[in-house]
Amino acid sequence: MSYTDVDVPNRRDKVQAAFRSFGEVAAAASVLNWLLLFIFFCVLLGAYHIHTMLLMGDWDFWIDWKDRRYWPTVGPIVTIPFIAAAQFFFWEKFRLPFGATFVVLALLVGEWINRYVNFWGWTWFPVNFCWPTEFIPGALFIDCVLLMSRSYIMTAVIGGLGYALLMYPSNWPILAQFHMPVEKNGLVMTLADLMGFETVRTGTPEYIRLIEKGTLRSFGQDVVPVSSFFAGFVSMVMYLIWHFIGRWFSRTDFIARI
Amino acid sequence: MKGHEYRRAGRSALLSISVAVVMGLAFTVIAITSAWAHGEKAQMPFLRMRSVQWYDIVWSKAEVKVGETVEITGKFHLSEFWPDSIGYPKESFLNIGQPGAVFVRKEVFLNGTFVPRAFTLEPGKTYEFKIVLLARRPGDWHVHPVMNIRNGGPLSGPGEYIKVTGDYADFTNTVTTLDGKTFDLETFGLTGIYSWHFLWMAIAAVWVAYWFRRGGFISRCLRVAGSPDVQSADKMISPLDEKIALGFLGGTLLIVMVAFTRTEAALPRALPLQSGLITIAPGDPAMNAPENVLVKYERAIYDVPGRRLVVNLQITNNSNEPVQIGELNTASVRFLNPKVMKDAVKYPDYLLAPEGLSVSDEKPIAPGETRKLSIIAQDALWDTQRLADIYYGTDSSMAGLLVFLGQNGTRHVIEIGGPAVPNYTNIGLLKL
Amino acid sequence: MSTVSGSLADTEHRDAAEQGGGSKLGADVFDWKIIWVPFVAMFAFYSMIRVYEQIYGFSAGLDSFSDEFKTYWLSVLWIELPTLGAAFVGVMAYLWKTRDRDLANVTPREEIRRYFVLMAWLTAYATAVYWGASFFTEQDGTWHQTVVRDTDFTPSHILEFYLSYPIYIIMGCGAFMYAKTRLPFYAKGYSVPFLLFVVGPFMIFPNVGLNEWGHTFWFMEEIFVAPLHWGFVFFGWFALAVFGVSLQILGRLREVIIASGLEAKCSFNEETSPLPAGAPAAAE
Repeated sequence: MSYTDVDVPNRRDKVQAAFRSFGEVAAAASVLNWLLLFIFFCVLLGAYHIHTMLLMGDWDFWIDWKDRRYWPTVGPIVTIPFIAAAQFFFWEKFRLPFGATFVVLALLVGEWINRYVNFWGWTWFPVNFCWPTEFIPGALFIDCVLLMSRSYIMTAVIGGLGYALLMYPSNWPILAQFHMPVEKNGLVMTLADLMGFETVRTGTPEYIRLIEKGTLRSFGQDVVPVSSFFAGFVSMVMYLIWHFIGRWFSRTDFIARI
Repeated sequence: MKGHEYRRAGRSALLSISVAVVMGLAFTVIAITSAWAHGEKAQMPFLRMRSVQWYDIVWSKAEVKVGETVEITGKFHLSEFWPDSIGYPKESFLNIGQPGAVFVRKEVFLNGTFVPRAFTLEPGKTYEFKIVLLARRPGDWHVHPVMNIRNGGPLSGPGEYIKVTGDYADFTNTVTTLDGKTFDLETFGLTGIYSWHFLWMAIAAVWVAYWFRRGGFISRCLRVAGSPDVQSADKMISPLDEKIALGFLGGTLLIVMVAFTRTEAALPRALPLQSGLITIAPGDPAMNAPENVLVKYERAIYDVPGRRLVVNLQITNNSNEPVQIGELNTASVRFLNPKVMKDAVKYPDYLLAPEGLSVSDEKPIAPGETRKLSIIAQDALWDTQRLADIYYGTDSSMAGLLVFLGQNGTRHVIEIGGPAVPNYTNIGLLKL
Repeated sequence: MSTVSGSLADTEHRDAAEQGGGSKLGADVFDWKIIWVPFVAMFAFYSMIRVYEQIYGFSAGLDSFSDEFKTYWLSVLWIELPTLGAAFVGVMAYLWKTRDRDLANVTPREEIRRYFVLMAWLTAYATAVYWGASFFTEQDGTWHQTVVRDTDFTPSHILEFYLSYPIYIIMGCGAFMYAKTRLPFYAKGYSVPFLLFVVGPFMIFPNVGLNEWGHTFWFMEEIFVAPLHWGFVFFGWFALAVFGVSLQILGRLREVIIASGLEAKCSFNEETSPLPAGAPAAAE
């Protein structure tokens, strides 16, 4: 369609205004803001969701995978990449300190729709069996650290560590009740184990659970802090790597040939 | 937007909402559906014929109400001809094949041992199991016992329909903890899950909205792009912004800490998830006693056009009564010898060939006698169950349970197995 | 840029406009219809698909060798593959055939209109990415973990890999093609972020080959985090190029605003910034 097909009111030859008034610029900006918000939300949701579900999905799907060793280790390490990339983009280009919260909120919206509509609605797994991991408190924390420090290094070190350390305590108020013990045929199980046994997953035998099996002996019962601290350490490194990946994806160059 | 456009937008919104409502209804109303096999037919024949030999499977009821239990009991012999392509069954799990979480698995016993987790099996051994299921979702469900083997995948046993009547709304599944508290697992903890998640999502949304309202993307982008240096752009963050952020930071940490410590105080006896292999009791010694009927597998031919397997055997009867061959059971398909198995056998039709087995010499084998004979297992099930592919696999061999019946009613279940040679033209059969 | 001439028509016109003449976005440049129609259409379409899955997933989708499976599932595959293939070719061919052969003379206002159309393409792409990468991909998880995988073409794969993925590919490639053929800024070469934004997620589709190859050879249990699945993750990362694409669009908008002499007025400023962030914008 060439521009001559377009009916442009008040068109003058040669010199043509892009906008008719400042008011129109403002209206256009408002529309664009909403559209960008929507596009960022959906695209980051999709990409972040496919990333997390295939790198930590099993721990995130099932209550009998949410252990003390792997879940608090894998969760932060897997989720921090998009946080780092989004924080770079939104802070560097807009001075908006909501990168982490924005992507984590998008992720949780995607996960909740799926757990409710598909895990529950299609295959009938109870929602209390397949609720997603809560990452928002850590995300708010790391956003605030970026805002206060205005430094990516500080955000990586303090924010990355805090993000990882906050994961388990943020989830514990939801999870703890499922760790109450029960006796079943002479065997002690947590309610989460019992739900994992009772809720049949034909394609998911018990032995594929990657959960703590009594290692980390030398730290006695303190498994979570060690796991979280390790996750924090890796999260710092991941943050920095993904900062540069976010930077790389914010490129605006052209090439002549593909 | 003009008025008619608003109306059109309204109509579209209405349409979407209606679709969503239909979708919601579909979840609840379209619950009564039926489901057939569970994909086992895709597995190569030798995987199914030479792994778990299920037998004596009984489904206690064909129809139950929501909230009632049904039992599946039976035995399986772990093949002595275990295929190389399936991992050694060091980690195995007795599972259920069912379409979604339609039954709740209340109990699973293997040789009397409760097995909610994985265990080690030994090829060549026979085990007995009992599964108790609690009906949860109304519908007509095809339910199989399944043995999952690490690096081997799921190996399905025979499936049978169980009709569940009643209403899901009546379903409860109570459990009492060691602290003496009783809960309904179906809804347990839901309030906490929803409240915490939606509280945090609301806080996150407020945080995002606050910043989005502060100029959105366009004006902030213009300002950053037009700033001569980083510090100048940083001035976009006002002292009020910082105060608000400090509030969010403090509030977040406070909520997490208070909630965590209160939870710790309220639930001091929270255990870690339980894991590790379970050791299975030896079971009834009779199940694994040596059989006194000996069978030597000599040669087998799978006759492609005739859809039949012909196996030459040498049988020695060391028992104290004459025996006859009653059945060949392989990959859960039962080929029955009608001359011996005269009573109707209760078994899923899709796996039963009631007249599928004949024996070249039907005379009972006397005690002390050794005889060579051929068994012929012939039925369309070779094709419909995709076992005919035995002639097209990477390991053209079979195994199955041969069932002998003694004149006094004694039963001898013996596994036979070995290579099977395809025959495409019928001519080869003459050599038998 | 040869076509940048974004000044408000002339001083008196501009002054008149700033006095309050038109604080709405002209209907000649933007109509919300181009945003909500694709959104609502996709929502309605995928909702229907989801209902279909609810009805025929378990009842006809568990045994890929059954007749019901052929009737209710394979036929869907045979309809969707050629239809979407043809739709892809059709959309791309149409956009190319109707390309603007005189991009040097696009008026600034027309260019703005086209940017809004591009935003509509990107909104549709974003919506399709949500349905494909989030909704249908995670529901594939619940399917696999519920049943025994017996074919590469499971009901959920038929809707995920061969329906929702091709649809977002069509949207993404359509957006790219639209920009390349209609917008002077994108016509000058190949935008690297736009290529990454479209080609990366596109590669998720061929990566299905790795997935099925691995599942066919190695295991039939579904560990969702198995390394075999990481190819999807890698290509998913390329959606982050939405950063670069949006910066290009915003950069171009900035040029137009600067040419209009409105940069100072539009830039964020604590006291004076009159640009609304998210007030519902009215179109005429």
